[in-house]
Amino acid sequence: MVEIEVKPEVSLALPGGRKPSKNGRGPDSLGGILAKIILLGITDAVAAFVLFQLALSAEWLIFGISLLTTMAINWIYLRRGGLPAKYLAPGVIFLMVFQVFVMIFSTYIAFTNYGDGHNSSKEDAIASIQLSASERVPDSPQFPTSVLERNGSYFLLVTTPEGEAKLGGAEEPLHTVTPSATGPTGAAAGVEGYGTLDFATLLQHQAEITSLSVPISANPEDGSLKTADGSTSYVYTPKLKYDANADTFTDTATGVVYSDDGRGSFVAADGTHLNTGWKVNVGLENFERAFTDPNLQGPLLKVIAWTFGFAILSVATTFALGLFLAITFNKADLKGKKFYRILMILPYAFPAFLSGLVWSGLLNPEFGFINNALLGGAQIPWLTDPVLSKVSVLMVNLWLGYPYMFLVCTGALQSLPEDVDEAARMDGAGAWKIFTAIKLPLLLVSLAPLLIASFAFNFNNFNVIFMLTGGGPRFDGTTFDIGSTDILITMVYKIAFGTGTGRDYGLASALAILIFIIVAAVSALSFKKTKALEDLN
Amino acid sequence: MSTPTTKATATAVPANKASFGQWFKAKGWRHLVAIAATAFSIFPLLYVLSAALNPTGTMAGASSLFTEFGTGNFQELFANQERPFGRWFVNTLVIGTVTSAATVFLGAMAAYAFSRMRFTGRRVGLLTLLLLQMFPQLLTVVAIFLLLNFIGDIIPALGLGSQLGLIMVYLGGALGVNTYLMYGFFNTVPTSLDESARIDGASHVQVFFQIIMPLVTPILAVVGLLAFIGISSEFVIASVVLTDPDSQTLAVGLYSYVAQQRSENWGVFAAGAVLAAIPVMTLFLFLQRYITSGLTAGGVKG
Amino acid sequence: MTGNTTPGARLTRRTFTLGAVGALSALALTACGGSGTPAASSSPAATAAAATSAPATGTSLTMWVDAERSPALKNIVAKFKAEKGIDVKLVVKDFAAVRDDFITQAPTGKGPDVLVGPHDWLGKLVQNGVVAPVQLGDKAKDFAESSIKAVTYDGQTYAVPYSIENVALIRNTALAPEAKATLDEVLAEGKKAVAAGDAKFPFLVGLDPKQADPYHLYPLQTSMGAPVFAQNADGSYDASALALGNEGGKKFAQLLTDLGDKGSKVLNSNITGDIAKEKFLAGESPYFLTGPWNVPDIAAKGIKFAVDPLPTAGDKPAQPFIGVNGFFISAKSTNALAANEFVVNYLSQPEAQDELFKVGGRPPALTASFEKAASDPVVKAFGEIGANGVPMPAVPAMDAVWADWGGTELNLIKGKEADPAAAWTKMAANIEKKIAGSK
Repeated sequence: MVEIEVKPEVSLALPGGRKPSKNGRGPDSLGGILAKIILLGITDAVAAFVLFQLALSAEWLIFGISLLTTMAINWIYLRRGGLPAKYLAPGVIFLMVFQVFVMIFSTYIAFTNYGDGHNSSKEDAIASIQLSASERVPDSPQFPTSVLERNGSYFLLVTTPEGEAKLGGAEEPLHTVTPSATGPTGAAAGVEGYGTLDFATLLQHQAEITSLSVPISANPEDGSLKTADGSTSYVYTPKLKYDANADTFTDTATGVVYSDDGRGSFVAADGTHLNTGWKVNVGLENFERAFTDPNLQGPLLKVIAWTFGFAILSVATTFALGLFLAITFNKADLKGKKFYRILMILPYAFPAFLSGLVWSGLLNPEFGFINNALLGGAQIPWLTDPVLSKVSVLMVNLWLGYPYMFLVCTGALQSLPEDVDEAARMDGAGAWKIFTAIKLPLLLVSLAPLLIASFAFNFNNFNVIFMLTGGGPRFDGTTFDIGSTDILITMVYKIAFGTGTGRDYGLASALAILIFIIVAAVSALSFKKTKALEDLN
Repeated sequence: MSTPTTKATATAVPANKASFGQWFKAKGWRHLVAIAATAFSIFPLLYVLSAALNPTGTMAGASSLFTEFGTGNFQELFANQERPFGRWFVNTLVIGTVTSAATVFLGAMAAYAFSRMRFTGRRVGLLTLLLLQMFPQLLTVVAIFLLLNFIGDIIPALGLGSQLGLIMVYLGGALGVNTYLMYGFFNTVPTSLDESARIDGASHVQVFFQIIMPLVTPILAVVGLLAFIGISSEFVIASVVLTDPDSQTLAVGLYSYVAQQRSENWGVFAAGAVLAAIPVMTLFLFLQRYITSGLTAGGVKG
Repeated sequence: MTGNTTPGARLTRRTFTLGAVGALSALALTACGGSGTPAASSSPAATAAAATSAPATGTSLTMWVDAERSPALKNIVAKFKAEKGIDVKLVVKDFAAVRDDFITQAPTGKGPDVLVGPHDWLGKLVQNGVVAPVQLGDKAKDFAESSIKAVTYDGQTYAVPYSIENVALIRNTALAPEAKATLDEVLAEGKKAVAAGDAKFPFLVGLDPKQADPYHLYPLQTSMGAPVFAQNADGSYDASALALGNEGGKKFAQLLTDLGDKGSKVLNSNITGDIAKEKFLAGESPYFLTGPWNVPDIAAKGIKFAVDPLPTAGDKPAQPFIGVNGFFISAKSTNALAANEFVVNYLSQPEAQDELFKVGGRPPALTASFEKAASDPVVKAFGEIGANGVPMPAVPAMDAVWADWGGTELNLIKGKEADPAAAWTKMAANIEKKIAGSK
């Protein structure tokens, strides 16, 4: 104990002047001022660098925000007073960038159709459709190819299966030439007046060469030559043709026209989409879907009820067990205390999904340890019965979560003044009485916020549900993959990331926001109900 | 594994039969509870250990323990050049230590402000900190990816693939619950202590470092430990941010052993998980005396 | 080595012309095998500029690969570097995250140039416009036909395949000495072994207690005439014509119920893949329906086994799903030419495919490499069964299909459905709706 008290005094020998303080502000020691200057200097240097980079890449909005932030930091630390801000700023800045900003950004995503099939910009989508639509003419030969260059334009020199050398460029259909050089396999490799590109030069002009398309005849319908590796080319015809003016794709075989539907896809009159779409703003659509999607509608009430049940019961059981054990071991002369404590936090030290897997093995009705060894071969369907699966999930979550509560309670118990205990005991109060009347209320004052936080955590406790039951057993009578142990977040995960449309980040973000609103509102209300805030004033 | 030892401790004590009843009332029942609780804690983990020692690489068999014995999984863990387990171990230690130290520091500063200063927005601020952490980040990891992608364009050292960038993301969650934990504890330190120090001419910085911090060591240790455990098992964000195997953490790296359906290697994964638990246990062992050394033992009351 | 003498001769000429290329690169270049791509030889015939060709070109490719395959690619990467002067940076990625990470990262320009993955990702990759078609040209003939079909989506080839995997029936020859053709015979044989007290389970197949396993059970289903989609003449799927719910499918639903908890209990959803493997390794069953990934452990255990064709439950052939692994090129690659050169002309070489086989044990897709690998009877048997298989569907809606399909199979096996045929029809209708919704 002693060294704890002594150490800081030794290591932090700030030569604080003993002047009485003015205006409530402690005198700054030389070391303190130096530290402040250095830290602020480093911060400003980094900020200057960031601002410079932002200016270079013309990100003016972010530039403005960063500039304001930098100025605010300097103001906070250079002015007199405003002490709370000085202590809060570092943590809050991280919070703003990595949590608040992420939330804002998610909100933005919630108004788009970002997700599988709508993954990037329209230009990207068009390029990709064109790329995929360009099909090799069936049974056409493969041409040994050299890439030539003249006056900054590129040409393909190919040798036909008949041994004829032909040359062509983007504006110049393929025509027969007399090669000036041949490669080792007999293919034409050079033409008078053109420079042949070697491999290194090819690499430097990859984009131009891979996009080079040489018409094989004056008639564009015959197709064009393209090379992907600079050494072989094939004749391609486009299955779809893009008309930049009309902003439509036309199927060259059937004549079907696909036009921009304003929702990030090219759609034909009969409703068929081209494979690749792009990201657009869809307004409130994702939120509308949250309220109208039959996936979400059906079992929603059951899921919400269970989400609350799961979260509340998880907090209650883990807290009860954690507190009980913390009190049990909070005895100074208990032998083996350290040893017990270590073993008890072990579940917390293993990856949750590994634990989930082990437990699903243990709970296997036929081969699992619980039924086989503990219950003498009973065939209890721990994970497949609608009620028992809930019990199992709670039990496993208790196993996973009580070490946390145990640690926290052990810590909090230290803050209880021991004399209260002694005084009460002298008054003849029993252990249980002391606990319920004195210790528990005191503990709850500091732990209530944590219990609410733990509630929120379990409200979104994806791992334990997903690893153990995957949300199952499925509800009967619904066609959707939603089951008895599904909580909101697992249901949302399955709907936004798992069903027909693939990963739908827009919908996921919208639902994340809705879940956040629910859980934050419930938590804020329960704060009001607890004494936790009374203590804050 | 360790259960026999536990039992030995438990049964060895009541040798003195005369006071058994008394002993039991004072301590004996605690041992019973301890044995039950530790058994509950560790028996599922015996399966992990069993899988770690079983060369066939199966996991959930659970019908028999320790049917086969071998260190093959551990050898494979260290022999695999593509999956540098040693590096992962070091990375986890570094990221975990830096992040938890910074978390403790940032959290303590905030808790100090909330506990010792009165300012407008204090109640709202505290509540907001807690509420913000309720955002289901799992569903919005893509936003973190896009953010880091952008940051990486501006400051490459903080972008995707950078451990520093990951630490920054983790520090975004440094306040929140931790602040509450510490705030509650800070409040139990009598304000008379810092007031008298202020009268003696100490600055607020000195009060913070020299008066408050030493007295709240238990909660600092708890928060540090919780942060370390959280980070060493955090997988979702780390797997998005850390792309290069040499920079990955244990949670991300080990997962690659079981990520591929039908060719999972649970044996090696379990072996890795067993070893990965060692730093957490060591840290706990080290911090335990701080956690349980409370206010009670010090000279605070005086 | 397919290397012919011409590259060497050409090289010597160039070396003399330039007089500057060191012996080292000459060595490296002589080692050139190549698939003898004519153009690879034609380009260096050029003049002085070629001096920079063999040493570093300053171009480098990034390739996402999982930890298992990474070492197998080292040699071919080194060869590519020596011959073309291009570095290939192998970035080991966690397999489970590769597909989705690639889809999010490719548009930002941070993604890789090349990635390795199974063919059933194709639907999603194409839907997101992140993969570029790969033109194999005449090389397509060098690969198993089924593997090329698998990497073809909407008429375009998108990958160079390198392995094919599928399930087969593994038989413990000590418990069941003879191969049987139909499921009934297999089960009879299995029950005989159980009755004799030699085994505990007549037949093992690993099932997921949450999802059953449509993948492993698929051969039984196809043998009753219920493929998941109708197939076009060229073997590709017609995703608009779900065939799952046909008469054969209904019969299959009945079969699952008959073999399940309320019937003969041959199929048991409590037996996970791990438990099934454990039991087979312990010699507790004569049959194990599984893939090549479990073979090394079975062999290591010293069990004498044979790889049998999949048993039929109906009058059609039992076709398993085949999974084809291949190399994809990013549509956003800024090094498209180098990536094509590497993927099409180097990863299709027998030595690359041989080495990938050595590491993963999955039958190579390249016929030449497969023939070499088929000296092992196990590989040969798996390969022959796979030749009869059909590629797993790659349509984007598959994730949802698997979930519904598995859920229904699970209920049937557990005997929860009073009317199996009706449950099956309902499932098919449901899946149809989901596929239509994603279109």
